[in-house]
Amino acid sequence: MTDARIGAAAPAAPVPAAPPDGSPPAVDALLVATDLVKSYGPVHAVQGVSFRCNPGEVLALVGENGAGKSTVAKMLAGAVPPTSGSIVVGGRPLASGSVRQSRQSGVRCAFQELALVPDWTVAENLSLPDGAPYRGFSQRKSVVAAAELLGAFDLPHIDPQVTVGTLSLADRQLVEIARALAGRPSLLILDEASSALTPPGVAWLFQRIRDLTSDGGSVIYVSHRLGEIAEIADRGAVLRDGKVVGEFVRGGWTDDQLVSLMAGREAARFFPAPPARTTDAVALEVTNLRSDGVHGIDLVLGAGEILGIGGLQGHGQAELLRSLFGAAPATADSWSIAGRPVSGTTPVRSVRHGIGYVPEDRKREGLALEMSVGENLLVPWFRAYQLGGRPRITRERTWIDGVLGALSVRTRGPDERAGTLSGGNQQKLVFGRWMDRARTVILLHDPTRGIDVRAKQELYAAIVDLAEQGVGILWFSTEVEELVHVCHRVAVLYQGAVIDELVGERLTGDAVVGASMGLRAAA
Amino acid sequence: MTVRDAPATHSPVATGRPPRSTSVRHVAARVPRSIWPLVAFLVLFGIGGLIRPNLVTIDSLIGTATFAIILAIASFGQTVAVIQAGIDLSVPNTIAFSALAFLGLAGPLGPTGAFVAALLTGAVIGFLNGVVIAKLGLTPIVTTIAMNGLLFGVILLVFNFSELTAIPEFVIGITSAKVSVFGLEMAAVLLLGLALMGVLQLVLSFTGWGRSLFVVGSAAEAARLGGLPVDRIRVVGYVVSGVLAAFAGIVIVGYYQQASATMGASYLLSSVAAVVIGGASIFGGRGSVVGTVGGALVLAQVSTLVAVLNLGANIQQLIYGVIILLVVSLYGRSATT
Amino acid sequence: MSVASPPVVRLQRTGMTRLRREGAIAPICAFVVFLLVYIVINPELLTRFQLQTAANLVVPLALVALGQLLVVLVGGIDISIGAVMSLCNVVFATQLENVPPPVALLLAVGVGLACGLFNGFLVAYGGLPAIAVTLASAFIFGSLAREVLDRPGGGVTKEIYLATSGELVPFLPVSLVWLSVVAVLLWLLLQRTALGRHIYGVGSSMESVRAAGIDARLTKLLAFGLAGMVTSAGAVMLAASTVTGDPRSGDAYLLSSIAAVALAGAAFTGGRGSIIGTVLAACTLGLIGNLLFFAGVNSYWQYVISALIIFTVVGLPVVWARTTSALKGIRS
Repeated sequence: MTDARIGAAAPAAPVPAAPPDGSPPAVDALLVATDLVKSYGPVHAVQGVSFRCNPGEVLALVGENGAGKSTVAKMLAGAVPPTSGSIVVGGRPLASGSVRQSRQSGVRCAFQELALVPDWTVAENLSLPDGAPYRGFSQRKSVVAAAELLGAFDLPHIDPQVTVGTLSLADRQLVEIARALAGRPSLLILDEASSALTPPGVAWLFQRIRDLTSDGGSVIYVSHRLGEIAEIADRGAVLRDGKVVGEFVRGGWTDDQLVSLMAGREAARFFPAPPARTTDAVALEVTNLRSDGVHGIDLVLGAGEILGIGGLQGHGQAELLRSLFGAAPATADSWSIAGRPVSGTTPVRSVRHGIGYVPEDRKREGLALEMSVGENLLVPWFRAYQLGGRPRITRERTWIDGVLGALSVRTRGPDERAGTLSGGNQQKLVFGRWMDRARTVILLHDPTRGIDVRAKQELYAAIVDLAEQGVGILWFSTEVEELVHVCHRVAVLYQGAVIDELVGERLTGDAVVGASMGLRAAA
Repeated sequence: MTVRDAPATHSPVATGRPPRSTSVRHVAARVPRSIWPLVAFLVLFGIGGLIRPNLVTIDSLIGTATFAIILAIASFGQTVAVIQAGIDLSVPNTIAFSALAFLGLAGPLGPTGAFVAALLTGAVIGFLNGVVIAKLGLTPIVTTIAMNGLLFGVILLVFNFSELTAIPEFVIGITSAKVSVFGLEMAAVLLLGLALMGVLQLVLSFTGWGRSLFVVGSAAEAARLGGLPVDRIRVVGYVVSGVLAAFAGIVIVGYYQQASATMGASYLLSSVAAVVIGGASIFGGRGSVVGTVGGALVLAQVSTLVAVLNLGANIQQLIYGVIILLVVSLYGRSATT
Repeated sequence: MSVASPPVVRLQRTGMTRLRREGAIAPICAFVVFLLVYIVINPELLTRFQLQTAANLVVPLALVALGQLLVVLVGGIDISIGAVMSLCNVVFATQLENVPPPVALLLAVGVGLACGLFNGFLVAYGGLPAIAVTLASAFIFGSLAREVLDRPGGGVTKEIYLATSGELVPFLPVSLVWLSVVAVLLWLLLQRTALGRHIYGVGSSMESVRAAGIDARLTKLLAFGLAGMVTSAGAVMLAASTVTGDPRSGDAYLLSSIAAVALAGAAFTGGRGSIIGTVLAACTLGLIGNLLFFAGVNSYWQYVISALIIFTVVGLPVVWARTTSALKGIRS
């Protein structure tokens, strides 16, 4: 394992060192994780991660999406048993794979995928996990307790009696954090806990973290937002491809160093430039698009243009893409696809009109995991009365091989089950089905999330290729860097509307981040 | 099961071109699902031979197969429903309804007209099921249970119990009539069932509709976002289910030469059992009619063995249950756990 | 303290909110309408004899439907519920010949519990689909029931009948009392204990419940076990009210219990469904035949009408939600 310490002396050069010893003297480390490994079948999510966390300290775990941060956090929380390795909390080994026991040892976690039960009320979500199952449960008492708790944590605007499913994403995240804080944990794990929070929400969170650490509690802060880490983290470890590739201490690092560590040196910051546009033709135009979560959006997407969509999660990006594809009901004042006016659309009609969609959740929304690679590529192109199955694959072999080759999909061929491929390769299949199929518009929902660097590069190249062929690309990404470097133009959404459109000089990372917080940068 | 775990040992190697692999393991991974039940049947057949050597005869095999093929025909519709992640619990009364309608209409419409009309009623029943499930979004299990109840009422209201019309000749001709193949005497229904199996398997494996049905069953949301007309595929699937169940009703009438309001009752659970033993996933996206025939053969062979050993109908049901449990625990585990 | 007082006021509202959330409004309305129609057509319902007959008709169905509801709440479905009922029914009826009634009752409930735990163990700890497991156990339990007793019979006596299906006081059938006892206990369990809330939570989101440190598998297992016990209560009531044990008595209840739970507005994905809704849905479905008889309609219509009620009551909210959301989309 290489261990690169960012600090005064050794900037980016890998310095071989014994893993955890490089950290500040830690006689009584609260948490010691040693050689954690987690494999899911052929996928090695975490391969030998070691670190320690001292009392009263905020330790950041940083890395790109898919670097293994969340898996590490889940292992610490007991939600996922490690394949091998050990976790010691307060001198005692942590029982692996039991959230309950982790909680009892004072380890609490606010999860990235929210762990609140949607059909329970806020009060139930706050109180039920701690009670013994065979004890009585009083709605009234739980509501009173929850109201007190929310009051103590300065969250009086949340009604303890409402069902969690009806809360906004940000409020749900606040409840989740409040629940983790409720037990005065000695170790609090925050797994991307700020992803949906507004700036005041983040400030609230930091105040809670400071309260906790001043009482001697520790916090493991999992994030890929460097700004927040600079503010709150005392120390940090950088994860990449399931390994610790570097550590850092407060003030001893720059964004650039961290980013190149996170991305991997050779691949660091390699983004292809968007191709020069050769036509003014419009691929997609919509004015005042309205739908659940989308409040009047105007968009013009040119042929061959890559239009990025930015913003924090939950501000209408998913709904925008789904509406444009017809997967969610939507209306607009005017709406045209490749110059043809339409009154609305459905997925079936969209495909016929030349739109392709790469949805958010490739496993549930993108692929039929039971079926073969070839058939998954062919899904949009099945016609009831035509051939299907093996004869169809044979007939389309040239196209299939072309797609698999162009995207370098690692597979044993079109007959392999799609479920056995790695995440990146699965994502390529969902993307590849739209290649060379006379598309006018392709809608991308964060296609590079959770896939490795190499797969990302291959997807970037394919996206740029498609744009060169004159396909209009609408690309929602949570990676600001992608938006800034690969897109012609970026529209940032805030609360279901376009708050700012950034192009040319104004298209910078800071501008995108600022706009997604609801701040409209000065022109 | 080794087949499921096999890919786990393979770590994808970064090669520019996808390797074209036709390794033995790869081929084995493609084949087994529909073959396992047939293997199980042969094993049971062998066991029967060990217990009573005189059981291992072609005639005994044909007898069991004939019994099995009728259950299989009644389960084909169920197979189509299960593949699309549904279930059709209206099979029993669709069978009864179509059988009684066929007999009732054979007089006024003539055998062919009645045959077509009976299949049409199946199509209508399936269409209603499909529309309620696809468009209203009701759970398949509830929809088809309600439909089954509704049909029962209609049967009781429309048909008199005493209705015993003569069975039209041509139905007997395709079911209980003996035909000779390579010098072997067998009931025509066996050939009919195998032919139907062949046609259905071709449709399911090699047409766009058939494959779409699997995509819908495997991941409905992925199918929708891939631009497939999911609702239409669903409805057509249930129409096919209904027509197949109606056809089964006619076949049963032809073979057993009697019909009653409750003639389908025993197919409620046994049709699902045959499909599950045939290797279909109850979550959808996996299943085959060849497998269903295999599942029916296993059930039929158990019943033959139980009869030969004189164990009684109860033990037969018990063994059915145990077999289903075995099959489900072998490959019925949900993908998430 | 200031926070303590407002919730008390608002708690009244949550009772209604909960009923709505659990889908109980539609079946309650359906039942009220049905009851009014019934009383208009047949005011005789309110006589002692008819009340008692009607109660004895619906109580077993209501109990079995509650059993089905418990399984549906954790996201499963119980295909074996008819077989469990048959098995408990014959165990109770035959054991009455050998042991005192309370012991026979305990044995029947114990058998129900064992059946439920068998299913629950395979589903919760084996990770197998409930529908497939209970399909298999439907065959197994059904055959066991016929092993215990191969034709209707057993030792149910007049005293047993009176204790379960007679009248407690005039105009109050005992069976309704027993149903209320079970329903109230179950309600207390589901709404007033942590376990009950866990059962709802497991059905709503298994992953979230696990992530919160709750033993989701155990919860599922217990829900199945409980369902078996409630089902056995239905079986005992059926044996007593018909004064016989019958190894096929439960068969009809498989489909009708699922129908009742569907009519109760429960979500078959789990996490949503109410006790009161289920009981009333069972009453509605159970009494349709009676109503038609008194209305002078061929009672075969009951099958058709039941199906149409289910389609309407379950389908209407879906259509309603869809049209309102479509309208909202246009208006906004």
